[in-house]
Amino acid sequence: MTAATIAHEGHHDDHALALYREVADIRLLGFVLFLISDCVLFSSFIFAYIYMRDAAPVWPPTGVGLPDANLAAVNSIILFGSGATMHFAMENWKHGTEIKFRRWMVATIVLGALFLTGQGWEYTHINATWWGSTFGAAFFTLTGMHGFHVFCGIIFLIVLLNQTLSGVYNKKQYFGLVAGTLYWHFVDVIWVFLFFLFYVW
Amino acid sequence: MAVAAEVQHSALAEHIHHAPKSFINRYIFTLDHKIIGLQYMIVGSLFFIISGLLAELIRVQLLNSDGRFLTPEHFNELYSVHGSSMVWLVIIPLATGGFGNFVMPLMIGARDVAFPWLNAASFWMFPPAGLILFSSFLVGAPDAGWTEYPPVSLQGPPGTSMWCVAIFLIGISSTLTGINFLVTMLKMRAPGMTFTRMPLFVWAQLATAVLNMVATTALAAALLALFLERTFGIPFYDPSHGGSPVMWQHMFWFYSHPAVYIMILPAFGVISEVLPTFARKPIFGYKMIAFSSIAIALLGFMVWAHHMFTSGMTPWLVLPFMILTFIIAVPTGIKIFSWVATLWGGNIRYTTAMLFAVGFIATFTFGGITGIFLAAVPADYQEHGTYFVVAHIHYVLFGGSVFGLLAGAYYWFPKMSGRLLNEFWGHVHFWITFVAFNVTFLPMHWLGLLGMPRRVPVYDPQFTDWNRVASIGSFFLVIGMAVFFINVIWSIKHGKRAGPNPWNARTLEWMTSSPPPYYNFVKVPGVLHAPYEFDQPLPYIGLEPAENVVSGYKAPMPAGSH
Amino acid sequence: MTEQSLAFVFRGIAIVGAILVGLIAIYQVRNDWTTPGLDIQVSKLLLALMAVGCVIVILSSTGVIGWQTRAGY
Repeated sequence: MTAATIAHEGHHDDHALALYREVADIRLLGFVLFLISDCVLFSSFIFAYIYMRDAAPVWPPTGVGLPDANLAAVNSIILFGSGATMHFAMENWKHGTEIKFRRWMVATIVLGALFLTGQGWEYTHINATWWGSTFGAAFFTLTGMHGFHVFCGIIFLIVLLNQTLSGVYNKKQYFGLVAGTLYWHFVDVIWVFLFFLFYVW
Repeated sequence: MAVAAEVQHSALAEHIHHAPKSFINRYIFTLDHKIIGLQYMIVGSLFFIISGLLAELIRVQLLNSDGRFLTPEHFNELYSVHGSSMVWLVIIPLATGGFGNFVMPLMIGARDVAFPWLNAASFWMFPPAGLILFSSFLVGAPDAGWTEYPPVSLQGPPGTSMWCVAIFLIGISSTLTGINFLVTMLKMRAPGMTFTRMPLFVWAQLATAVLNMVATTALAAALLALFLERTFGIPFYDPSHGGSPVMWQHMFWFYSHPAVYIMILPAFGVISEVLPTFARKPIFGYKMIAFSSIAIALLGFMVWAHHMFTSGMTPWLVLPFMILTFIIAVPTGIKIFSWVATLWGGNIRYTTAMLFAVGFIATFTFGGITGIFLAAVPADYQEHGTYFVVAHIHYVLFGGSVFGLLAGAYYWFPKMSGRLLNEFWGHVHFWITFVAFNVTFLPMHWLGLLGMPRRVPVYDPQFTDWNRVASIGSFFLVIGMAVFFINVIWSIKHGKRAGPNPWNARTLEWMTSSPPPYYNFVKVPGVLHAPYEFDQPLPYIGLEPAENVVSGYKAPMPAGSH
Repeated sequence: MTEQSLAFVFRGIAIVGAILVGLIAIYQVRNDWTTPGLDIQVSKLLLALMAVGCVIVILSSTGVIGWQTRAGY
């Protein structure tokens, strides 16, 4: 039997629990390292944006309108809020109140989807195209990559919710939920940097 | 007793899963790190042969100053694919996925890597990446060098976009391997194996894994941007649309400089294992070698712009990068001195592995020194883009990485196959290769200084004689490598049988059968000391004896030991 | 609603939300200050950065920083 299915059979088995803990430990480190490498991906494009801005003779490039911070600020709060709801979901899971956990998870997923909708609105109303300027190149590539990460995160959360419904996790063994929380917070923090770079700086 | 306190219980180390049953699960889609390592080695060797033959075509063209063996367009494609495949499809996969996979988990007393499925997935991205890159010849292969600088790469044939995809794919494989190995080495060492009791090959793989994990995604970003610009016109690098070619160079070299350390560090690790074993002496300066690996990994992130001294980048950056590049020579030099000191006064046995290790010290040191020449900015203005650079890179990558990996091949072949490679033909392989290598690449130093540029299909007639010498040397390199591959294929079936420890070495991989069972160790031992004290008893506790105890090579022990 | 007053509403929502979420994040970081474990440490770091993000949103929406301030919006 694999370590992942231990949760089913090994609730009261000390050895199985010790094995799960070691496995979860290993998976956690692997996941954190993955997040670090993902960080480098965003950092590279952020470097490119800063470089292009520094090298441009005039900013913004002619014909480009810089995006408004107002809607983006609300969108940011929606995303940060989903981080808070995710945190509440985890607290409830750890205390065993599953119904509240589910509610907060759904709230997180809804807020995440709302964020993506806001991004969609922004994409259609911004005064720049992906191919038309270096600003567009950086903006749409970076926010697009981020949006893709959010989208994958939403799928991740839906899968996790499903897994809790079929009893894959219990109060002691819930590594998948830990990974989901970290990923969601990570996606949040990337947005902090992107918001600052494109809407404030 | 102090021993019991150190040897911690590990549930994972005791967990042995059922053996896979079908042929497909055991050999094709295997999750066993040893078989995956062999898969990497087979595919990597195949790509090595293809890439080497591409280089031979280049050398045939360069026999004459106005050669018409190849069109200039084809010539550009050849050196671009040769360089790209050697870096990404040969050396990095062999050093990390090949040797790292097979040896490292055994050396730390683990039963497998942290994420075996991910390991297999990493491997299965490797053949498609190679297929994509090599098949680009059908539609016009990339032709702007393995470095693919825009704007030339923006105008390149469709193969350049295939290059982006292929390298992106192998990059994902590399990153995942780096993460996998790092977690393995941090979390799955045998009980009692503290960091300072790890073999130096593991230290080397540790530093390499960090580089792999952190640097490769930077390349992914650069490739993605190039691909987007070529396909959709998104302006990143094209100056006529506001982009910057120098920005590509920054993004590319931020990865590609650490990449050269990814290529050399595992070879350093092999040397650190082979020298003590065949000199019958503890490695000199264990801690210095270990920490210098980490220092090289960290400093390796701070020197990338020494590839860009002539690019017109921000002028004040030039001096700091020059100084940092000089500094990074120090930890490397520390290793070289330590290795020489290991040999000093040792009871040296010249097996083929040892020959390649000693040869490595000679050729890699030489290549390292020409690196210092290149690091000096005023000298670099003269040497950049000339054959001096080609000489340097081949001395460190062939005379360094490849020699190191060949030493590893001769050293660990018995562990992988249960048989020894033929020593006579191994010596033949070494001497042909060593001499031919120097005949090929030594003249390139002065060709470059005299002014011969790199990446040119025709050249000024004054360079003809030395080019011919180099080309003839390269033909003998092919012969040497052919001897090696024939030796390997023959020895798998007919080689002399090797026991668990034919070299009488002391690291953990030799404490189990050759080849090891799928679960590596009957019982994972506790580790009490670093493995290099040859006059001490083995520093392990709780070892179950390996299954086959057919005695193999017995090395002479130092005077006074049992 | 004019565009001007819509912007005002958005900014208001953003400021209120940022204060709320930022306080929650800081509260959690303080609660878990001494808790060990890699996942908790990473969570603390990310929540702290998120709180910084909330501060940036507040500063931007109140007009203290940002290109819109410089451009006179």
